Amino acid sequence: MAGPNDNTITDESLFSDEFLRQLIAVGEVDLLVGIPSLNNANTIGHVVQAVHLGFAKYFPRDRTVLLNADGGSKDGTEEAVTSVSLGDPHRMLAPQLLRTMHRVTTRYRGAAGRGNALRTILAAAELLRAKACAIISPDLLSIRPEWIDNLLRPVYKEQYDLVTPLYRRQKFDGLLISNLVYPLMRAAYGLRVREPLAGDFAFSGKLASYLLERGISPEDASPYGVGIWVVTKAIRGGLRLGQSFLGPRIRASKDSTQDVVSMIRGVVGDLFRCLEAEESLWLDASGSQPVASFGFSYDVILEPVRVNRKRLIQMFRNGVTELQDILKTILGEETFGSVREMADPSRERLHFPDELWVKTVYDFASAFHRSVLNREHMMQALIPIFRGRVASFTLERHSADDNELEAAIEDLCLAYERLKPYWIERWNLSR
Amino acid sequence: MEKPTPETAALPVEPLWYKDAIIYQLHVRSFYDSNADGVGDFRGLVQKLDYIQELGATALWLLPFYPSPLRDDGYDIADYTNVNPAYGTLDDFKTFLTEAHRRKLRVITELVLNHTSDQHSWFREARRSQNDPRRHWYVWSDTDEEYRDARIIFTDTEMSNWAWDPVSKQYYWHRFFSHQPDLNYDNSEVREAVWEVMKFWLEMGVDGFRLDAVPYLVEREGTNCENLPETHAVLQFLRQRLDEHYPDRMFLAEANQWPSDVLAYFSNGDECHMAFHFPLMPRIFMAVKLEDRKPIVEIQEHTPAIPDACQWAIFLRNHDELTLEMVTDEERDYMYDAYTTDPAMRLNVGIRRRLAPLLDGDRKRIELMNGLLMSLPGTPIIYYGDEIGMGDNIFLGDRNGVRTPMQWTGGWTAGFSRSDPERLYSPPVSNELYNPKIVNVDSQSRSEHSLLAWTKRLIRTRKLSRVFSRGKMEFLSPANHRVLAYVRTLGNETVLVVNNLASCAQAVELDLRRFKGAIPTEMSGGSVFPRIGELPYLLTVGSYQFYWFRLRRL
Amino acid sequence: MTELIMHRLTGTLENLLGVAADFLPKVLAMLIVVALGWVIALAVKAALKRILTMLKFDAFSADSGVSQTLRKTGLPSPSELLARIAFWVIWVCFMVLGLGVLGIVEFQQEIASFFQFVPHIFIALLILFIGILAANFFSRAALLAAVNADLPTPRLLSGSVRLLILILTVTMALEQIGLARNTVLLAFSITFGAVMLGLAIAFGLGGQHAARRLLEKYTVEREREKEEDISPL
Repeated sequence: MAGPNDNTITDESLFSDEFLRQLIAVGEVDLLVGIPSLNNANTIGHVVQAVHLGFAKYFPRDRTVLLNADGGSKDGTEEAVTSVSLGDPHRMLAPQLLRTMHRVTTRYRGAAGRGNALRTILAAAELLRAKACAIISPDLLSIRPEWIDNLLRPVYKEQYDLVTPLYRRQKFDGLLISNLVYPLMRAAYGLRVREPLAGDFAFSGKLASYLLERGISPEDASPYGVGIWVVTKAIRGGLRLGQSFLGPRIRASKDSTQDVVSMIRGVVGDLFRCLEAEESLWLDASGSQPVASFGFSYDVILEPVRVNRKRLIQMFRNGVTELQDILKTILGEETFGSVREMADPSRERLHFPDELWVKTVYDFASAFHRSVLNREHMMQALIPIFRGRVASFTLERHSADDNELEAAIEDLCLAYERLKPYWIERWNLSR
Repeated sequence: MEKPTPETAALPVEPLWYKDAIIYQLHVRSFYDSNADGVGDFRGLVQKLDYIQELGATALWLLPFYPSPLRDDGYDIADYTNVNPAYGTLDDFKTFLTEAHRRKLRVITELVLNHTSDQHSWFREARRSQNDPRRHWYVWSDTDEEYRDARIIFTDTEMSNWAWDPVSKQYYWHRFFSHQPDLNYDNSEVREAVWEVMKFWLEMGVDGFRLDAVPYLVEREGTNCENLPETHAVLQFLRQRLDEHYPDRMFLAEANQWPSDVLAYFSNGDECHMAFHFPLMPRIFMAVKLEDRKPIVEIQEHTPAIPDACQWAIFLRNHDELTLEMVTDEERDYMYDAYTTDPAMRLNVGIRRRLAPLLDGDRKRIELMNGLLMSLPGTPIIYYGDEIGMGDNIFLGDRNGVRTPMQWTGGWTAGFSRSDPERLYSPPVSNELYNPKIVNVDSQSRSEHSLLAWTKRLIRTRKLSRVFSRGKMEFLSPANHRVLAYVRTLGNETVLVVNNLASCAQAVELDLRRFKGAIPTEMSGGSVFPRIGELPYLLTVGSYQFYWFRLRRL
Repeated sequence: MTELIMHRLTGTLENLLGVAADFLPKVLAMLIVVALGWVIALAVKAALKRILTMLKFDAFSADSGVSQTLRKTGLPSPSELLARIAFWVIWVCFMVLGLGVLGIVEFQQEIASFFQFVPHIFIALLILFIGILAANFFSRAALLAAVNADLPTPRLLSGSVRLLILILTVTMALEQIGLARNTVLLAFSITFGAVMLGLAIAFGLGGQHAARRLLEKYTVEREREKEEDISPL
């Protein structure tokens, strides 16, 4: 039947003719690994090799495809992908391949961004009826063929719908995740997903279709929020979540936008938006459940991240003083008092207690929900306070080992869970 | 001994007949029993020659029918120049030969050169004493320490390649079973004797020999005693004699080796005319299971060019297990998992099953596989019963499960014999899917749509053009790897073959620019397809479907 | 005499009555117009309030910080304020219209020019409103950006941004009303120039050190900072 829909199919197709032709040639697959890229010519070859070796070693009989969704690289990323060879299979310990190796690369439609890349990969996964898919970052130096197995197997063989990674991180790496994103999502949805922001994760064909149906809005297309969005939707859909240990995550480049300011604006903004959209999912929930974990966990000695605490403290204090008016509108009266007191320059040491941090986060989330100020501005107002929290957290755990650090984060999570009623109260305040 | 009757030599001299042949492989014992003793015989076979001719085959390959203690299913020959009484007499054989030739069917027999049975008169004489004139027709030694580098082939039953002869107090050499002593080809008397054997059959009118176990003829210290130059010299000697006297007869070498190693058996066209392409067969099965053309393309690309007068013999199934010696470990594991649901289906390094049960009786896949067999380079060999989709009985020990009586009708004895069913040399297949009531020649002859009728049409189509038997092959590489496409060319004749290895319909774009302007005609039905242009030629191929297109510029 | 007086008195009285009889309906008409105006204005006010609520106007202005400013100065919520302004403007218009009904010739011209003037007032008010919104929004954005970039005087920066925008707004609003065009333009130029000059001088002379610190921060210290920055993800 000819109708207005016909136009949308051809005009807004995610697939260029060439891409579609390639996908037809690949045909139905069992496993799909998508690598979104943008100017990663130097590192992507290594990742492509690891993925193919992972396929060859762990899924020799299954139909696999590697899909590179490129955002319009200028440095020959696509050529780098297509030209990679696996080298001598005997030396690489990879068994000889039974099947034709499939590697597809395409320039996805729309502006460069993880959201559009993900949408293309999801659509391709659905078209190829992939049973298990994974997204892998193009700039990973520490990727090993095992990752492919660790990520895909729980989905492919154990019927999990989403598998997020567990990384071995440098000490004090990922503080925004451990102090805000992880505990806040855990307190909200009651699931302990340790790395909800992951750049590398696996999902089932079922979840791919589910996500596609829901559509990816431009807001989800921020460079950071994709992981949060995927995890949230998976929880919303009542799908099975798991996580898998991958080992250290070492990337070649910091994100081009990886300064604290834009990151917090992106990540926390996306997180708050998702929380708002899925309000009905968590307002009544309490406590939290562990998420099934796979893979063999091992220790790696990594150099701790260096933190310039003096400067952080100074920026925290300046920020609180300068932004008093704004913070007053965002934070609860009591919280604001405590924060201002803490920021008092005359105090010798900075101690940012867990509970106060939790309440601050809750106040921000609630103020965001109630739009007491421009949301973008609120995100920026959080930055100095986060700096203070980082300074205090790292200072107090200067000599802590991995286990102690994990225990501290667990305590923080429990504080989040305990104070959830406070959050809900603030959330539901009328304007 | 009578002179060959004129009929037996009636076929015109046609030196390259084996290149265009379609070989039908059968065992006299299993084909048809004329005297109700439960065992097939030559008289019975003669009655069924019309059937084979109608099928479209142009040559027969008979498994060993010589007198034998049958400890290795006839491959242990006790008399090279006679017929096992169970199958008839030498005269019966001659009649058979005459009748076959009358129907333009060439006859290929088995010749086991490497060894004889220990019941053969040659060996019985040789072991009488160390000084017997026949003594050095076999390989003797005082110690079992010689030729230690030669591997033992039947590791399950044999401890050594040497066996102690208590009568003459020496060890004798055997590469296979200990009751199969190896002939000593260093002895010119043996070479002459073997030539005499060949001459005996050639004189009678036999058109070719399948030479069993050829890599092992000669032994040399410090080598693995396989594929030795001396072995090739023996074969070249026999070939030379053959060419001198019988210009249109043929040697078919059995050497389960990689194509590059088999190449030596063609030599410069002065050794064997044909040789089996062993590694291709499991890869056809693998490709269809994987729905990926890679295994076939890969092995064909690793197959070297052979002399002009030579030809590969290709097959889907034969009287042995589906051998998995010429595949990688990974591929072997995959084949086992994909094609054997029951451990009883495995034997040695292979799978002992017939074509139809291997493919779950799936008509589409059976057709596709036969289509590949008939269109890939080489002379195709059809194993008896596979043209009607016969089943097997994996509970019959060794390879007997694929050697059950040919199923002619739906009766108790499958129309194979008029004896009581209990008397048959082997029970017919009796399971629900493949028993004679379901699968038999009689019922399939009545339908235009039976597998038998279809196979006949396929063979007829193949015979339309020599491009399949003699043409060059070149793979096309469409992006869709589920589609195996190649072009066969001979002179100005071109045939495009497109196979869909997948269980679901596929779209494929073929780069046919060099045939621009040609009009494809589908060969089985004669339908004309759109003219080939500059753009990629788009075809849709149904589940396991294949097309043969004749490309013509009209 | 008496008669004459009486006649005159009667005449005057009659005259007065005549005038009164002539004028009274006009007054009555005027009162009716004013009353009608009041009703219409009230209706418009209610309707506007409803519409603005529906459009979530309050949330929008809260976003940009106008609500806070209004609350600080003891004014009601933006939608309430707008509704009230509309009410008064409409009623005043009706009152002026009522005056016109009286038919006093001297008023007529004034009234005509008043009605020419009304749309300008509206536009001027709108400009002011948007200007305040923008000033608030951008000054806060500047403040946050300055704080997060660790610039030395965030409030000064944010204050200047606000001031500039407000001056621009007021100038535009006044121009819209048509009040002393040249004066306003001149005043704006002078003020703007002064602020710029002040800033230039502040940075050039007074803020020499601050400026140097600022520059250093963005050149010399850049490398070290990067390496010591926290890594939140």
